[in-house]
Formats: sequence, structure tokens, C-alpha cells
Amino acid sequence: MSILEMPMNGFGATGVRDDLQAAVQLPEIEDADLPMRVLVIEDDRDAADYLIKGLRESGYSVDHAADGREGLSLALSESYDAMIVDRMLPGPDGLSIVEMVRKASIPTPVLFLSALGDVEDRVSGLKAGGDDYLVKPFAFSELLARLEALLRRANPNQENTFLKVGDLEMDLLARKVTRQSKRVYLHPREFRLLEYLMRHAGQVVTRTMLLENVWEYHFDPQTNVIDVHISRLRQKIDKPFDTAILQTVRGAGYKLEPAA
Amino acid sequence: MNRASIAKLFNVFGSTTFRLVLAYTLIFSLSVGGLFYFVFWTTAKFAEQQIEAAIDSDVTGFKDTYARAGLRGLVMAINRRVEPDLRGDGVYILVDSLGNHVAGNMNHYPPKVVVDDIWVTFPITDVSSATEKVGDVRALQFEVPGGFRLLVGRDIRDARKFRAQLVHSLDIGLAITAALGLIGGFVFSRTIMRRIESITRTCRRIMSGDLSQRVPVTRTTDEFGRLALSINAMLDQIERLMRSMQQVSDNVAHDLRTPLTRLRSRLESALRQMNDPANREAVEGAVADADSLLATFAALLRIARAEAGSQRNFVDLDLVSITEDVADLYGPLAEEKGLAFASDIKPGLLARGDRNLVAQALANLVDNAIKYTETGSVTISVTDRDHRAVLVVADTGAGIADEHKDKVLERLVRLEQSRTSPGSGLGLSLVAAVAKSHGIELLLRDNNPGLRVELIFPRVEAVVKTASPPTVPPAEKEAGSRRAAE
Repeated sequence: MSILEMPMNGFGATGVRDDLQAAVQLPEIEDADLPMRVLVIEDDRDAADYLIKGLRESGYSVDHAADGREGLSLALSESYDAMIVDRMLPGPDGLSIVEMVRKASIPTPVLFLSALGDVEDRVSGLKAGGDDYLVKPFAFSELLARLEALLRRANPNQENTFLKVGDLEMDLLARKVTRQSKRVYLHPREFRLLEYLMRHAGQVVTRTMLLENVWEYHFDPQTNVIDVHISRLRQKIDKPFDTAILQTVRGAGYKLEPAA
Repeated sequence: MNRASIAKLFNVFGSTTFRLVLAYTLIFSLSVGGLFYFVFWTTAKFAEQQIEAAIDSDVTGFKDTYARAGLRGLVMAINRRVEPDLRGDGVYILVDSLGNHVAGNMNHYPPKVVVDDIWVTFPITDVSSATEKVGDVRALQFEVPGGFRLLVGRDIRDARKFRAQLVHSLDIGLAITAALGLIGGFVFSRTIMRRIESITRTCRRIMSGDLSQRVPVTRTTDEFGRLALSINAMLDQIERLMRSMQQVSDNVAHDLRTPLTRLRSRLESALRQMNDPANREAVEGAVADADSLLATFAALLRIARAEAGSQRNFVDLDLVSITEDVADLYGPLAEEKGLAFASDIKPGLLARGDRNLVAQALANLVDNAIKYTETGSVTISVTDRDHRAVLVVADTGAGIADEHKDKVLERLVRLEQSRTSPGSGLGLSLVAAVAKSHGIELLLRDNNPGLRVELIFPRVEAVVKTASPPTVPPAEKEAGSRRAAE
């Protein structure tokens, strides 16, 4: 099962929504019939086609700009839920576009795409006002997972000290996790891993995203060490119970989602 | 003068320029010495010739007098010459055949003077009361008919003094020449060294990865200016080449990775329509193959970037947290394999670098250690050696034979016995690349049994601590703020 199969007119599978609503405020769920609007600023035709096709298949409404100037005017005049911006563009480059968009006080989340993968490029991209950074080429599932995470971030629920996904509950203040009202004891790192998964419940979370956000490193672990951590977490939150809540999404990553 | 400046001074003496200058000073001093000797020799000769000419003319005069006025006239002429009020430096003596004094201002004919028409030099101690002459005399003697002998000479003490004075002056001149040569050489070599040193410094900075560095050009017209310009032009060329190489690797990334990614996506979407388990398995295998190809490309690009890594982005590293994080990340993997996993971390060690690259290098080492160890343990430690931080990853696996130790650091090299295990063979090359760009000494040692890899960080000069807290690497800041935004 891939993320591409998921109905994308909103967040995740429909079954999750009621559970999610209890814990996470998602204002866009109210206008779930309207597709999310994404602006893609990418000059490379092939890459743009690939992106647009994939995004439309996933239920997004996509506007495309093939150069910096057009991209900037669209970004400033239209209202989008997210922007995907290539760093290298004819006309103003990606960095300048995002800087100008931020100067105009437009908070739309921005995902940078770039063939440059150095830390300094990542840092300069994020400094310019980007929210995430993805090095080309990427697996589409990775882009989709990150885009979803960004869209979720645009509706922050930072005051949340209590997370609930299905029958799994996390009290961030008491550092307490329960499932079906039974206490689950986690190591600090497992706690953070689960917290990240719960905050992105219903979304596909890739291994790279986990390494970046739970361990805070930008590198590629040669073996899938993340899998080992996930399987340990499963031992604690899934194995003692009758249903599995932590799913593996083949070829993409993981998803925390209560069985429908 | 402190130690450093003394060392610097020795440095000046040890420099090629200084040795050259020393050689030149020597040659120059020898030439000047030769010139001085020539001047001395001709001057002294000239003074001697003057004296001899005076004596010669005296002798000619006396011979004339004798021919005109006989012995009597000669005696009169000599007496005239030695009159007390006539203050000359002439020395005269006329003796008869028995050696008795007849005329002149010397009391005795000097001994050991062969009667001959030749030049003699002798010391005199006995002089007539009239002149009080003591000292060396240069003289010509000749026989006067009737057994008389005449000695005509000149006191050469003044000439000797002049000669000594000349030698003294020339010695001082030579000493001054040599001293000036040395001082000049010192200043000259220091000036040149400073300019060469600035070139060396630039080169060193470039070698450490900062290709944007250029040699400062002070004057464009002199040789150093031209050298600096040539070096800078060469650096421009190298930078251009590096950039085009980067371009090529980015092109590789783009041209090969993009279709590969698309292939992967197509396989994935094909997979969605597939129900036959046999087909599914085949396509899933293909996806996995595409993934491993993509991982290899990614690793190659990462190595290239790590090698070209610039120290400009270096921050103070928290080796304790990096090591703990990597231990935390890989610990479960080791335990899963039934290996004992331990870390021994000494806090408070200073190191600088790129946090992600160092973490990646350490992660690769731990990953390899776990991969190639079947039983026993994997240990990570942070220790201190001569005030240098050392990261050690030791395992009890098969180890690497000495003859293979260099080879495994090369790209895509995997030892034959390990070909069967998964991996791209780029893990250690990345470690080597990170070590290179960080100035880290990378040692592969025997752990008896197993492999012990040591990363010895360059010494960090204890900088004066400012009041501000230790630098938080930018990556951490982002991650922190991102978490806060969630």
C-alpha cells in the first residue's frame, strides 16, 4: 500500500478524521471538498510534469510557474496552501522569491527543491524563509510526505499537551503514554519517536523525516536503523494489543493510523 | 623575546632565502676582500717604489758627486744630507775597507749585509745622536773605489705604519661589508619570507577546502606579484575545474538519478495494480534494486561534497552528544544482532567540524562494525590523546588484514570476503573523505581480534571563552525551532 493510494482531499484516510479531530485541530477539514492549492515553481519541464501529475493524482490543485518572475507574481497575488520552489530558476531564483514572499508577510509554507544538498545550502534555504528542503531527485512519496507535514504545520497546534490517535493517548506534560487505558512505558527516544508519529498521525512519515526530526541529523544511515527503532516501538504499543496502529508504508515509510 | 619569536628567528635562519643570502654574502665578501687586497698591494707597492726611487736618485747623485769631486766631495755631500736641521728620513753610512765610520748618521755598518749592489732591509738600533732613528730601514749599498762602502737608505717605519693602517682600514671595511651583507640578507629574507609565507598560508587554507581563498597581490609589477597573479590564475582554473566537476556530478545526479527515481515511481504504481504475488515479488525486488542504486549515487555525491567540504561551516562540536546520539541510534541494531554495545565517553573535549558529516562518519563506522561482527562487542569511545580528541570505534569482528587497510578507504572497494553482505562499499570512503576535509587522522588498527578505527581530531587551540554559551550548530537550531513550530 502506498501513500499514492490514499484519498488526498484533506488529510489521510477518512476513518482517521474523527479520532484526529479530538486531538488535533484541523481547520481545513471543514472545507474538505475544496482541494488544497499548491504552487509549483520549477523551470525543468520534465521535473515539473512529474510533480504536477503526481500532485494532481494525489488530489491537489496545482498551479505551475516555469520561471522566477511568473512564480513570484503568482506567489504574491494568489493564495496557496503551500509552495514547492526550485532553488535554481531563470529570473529571480528560489531564495529571492521566498525572501520577497516572506517580506510581504505571506506565511505560506515553502518546500525548497534543489540539486544542491550541502548543509550550507539547506541552511541558507531555511534562513531565507523556507520550511523544508528536499534534494533532487526525490522519491515522490518523500515529497508528498513532507508536503503533508508542511500543510499540517501551517495549522499549528503548538499548545497541544495531549495527543490522541485512536485508543493511543500521550500526555506530554506527565510524559505518559497509554493505550486502551493501559500504561505503556517508553524510553525517552521512543517517546519522541512516538510523539512525532502522533503529531503526524494519518500521514506517511519517511525514515529521513524521522532521522531529521527525532534525532536531528541530516544524513543517510546506511542500514535502516530507523526500522529497528520502529520495531521496538511496535513491541510496546502494538504487540500487547489486538490491533496494530503503526503501519509500514511500503517504499515510503511509516504511518500511525488506527485500524478503520 | 618569547619562544615563538625565537622559533621564528630560527625559521628565518633556516629559510632557503637566508641560506642563499649567506652564500652571496660570502662570495661578495671574498670579492671585496680580493679587491681590497689588490688596492692594498698596489698602494703598498707604490709607496715602496717611491722610497726606492728616492734612494735610487740619492745613489745616482752620490755617484755623480764622487765622479766629479772624489771621495772628499762624497763625504761632504753625505754630511750635508745628515745635517741635524735637515729633517729627512734618509739613512746614510760610508765606511772604509775596515768598516770604520767615515761619514753618515749611522754609527755602524749593519752586519750581515753582503757587499753588493742590492736592496737590503734591516733594523737599526744604533743611530747617530743627530737623528735618533730607530726602526726598519730600506737601503741600497754600493762600493766606492778604494774599499769604501756606502749605504743609502730610507727609514720605512712610516711606510710600514701606513701599510698597517691600510690593512686595518681594509679589515674594518671587510667586516662592515660582511655585517651589512648579513643584516641585509636577514631583512631581505624576512621580507621575501613574509610574502612566501602569505602564499603558503593561502595554499594551506585552500588545501583545507576553502577554494575561494586567493593569494594577496601587493604589487603586480615585481616577481612576487607576478607569482601571486599566476597562482591566483591557477586557482581560478582549479576552482573552475572543481565547479565543472561538481557540475558533472550534479549532472550525474540529475541525469541518472532522475530517470531512476521515475523508474522507481513507475514500478511502484505498477505494483498497485498487481495482484499476482509472484509478479509483486519481482517488482518489489526491482524497487529495492532501484533503491540501492539511488543510495549508491547519493553516497558518491555525498563523498564528493564531504571532500570538497569547507571549514568555513565548521562549528564547535559536542562530541559527547554526537557520540551518544549515534550510540542511541545504533545500539538497538547491535543488540538485535546479539552484540554487546558499549560507549565510553570522556566529556569536555574540543573539536571543530560539520556536525552532520562527523555524525555520518561515526554512524558509518558503527554500522560497519555491527555489520562485520558476528559475535562479541562493538564499542564507541571518546578519549583524549595529547590534547586531541579521539573517536574510537572498536569491534571484535573479522578485522582487516594489514595489506588491505589502505585499500578499504578507496571508493567502491569491498573486500572479497564481505562482498556477500549488503552495502555499497562507500561507507569507509565517506569516513576517509570526512577525515580529509576535517584534518582528522584516520587510523585502522587491529583490535585483536577485530578492527579498531581511530579518528584523531586536530588539536583545537583553546580559544578565549566568550561569555556566550557554546555555539549551537545551525542544524540543531532549525530542528529546535521547527519542533517548536509544530
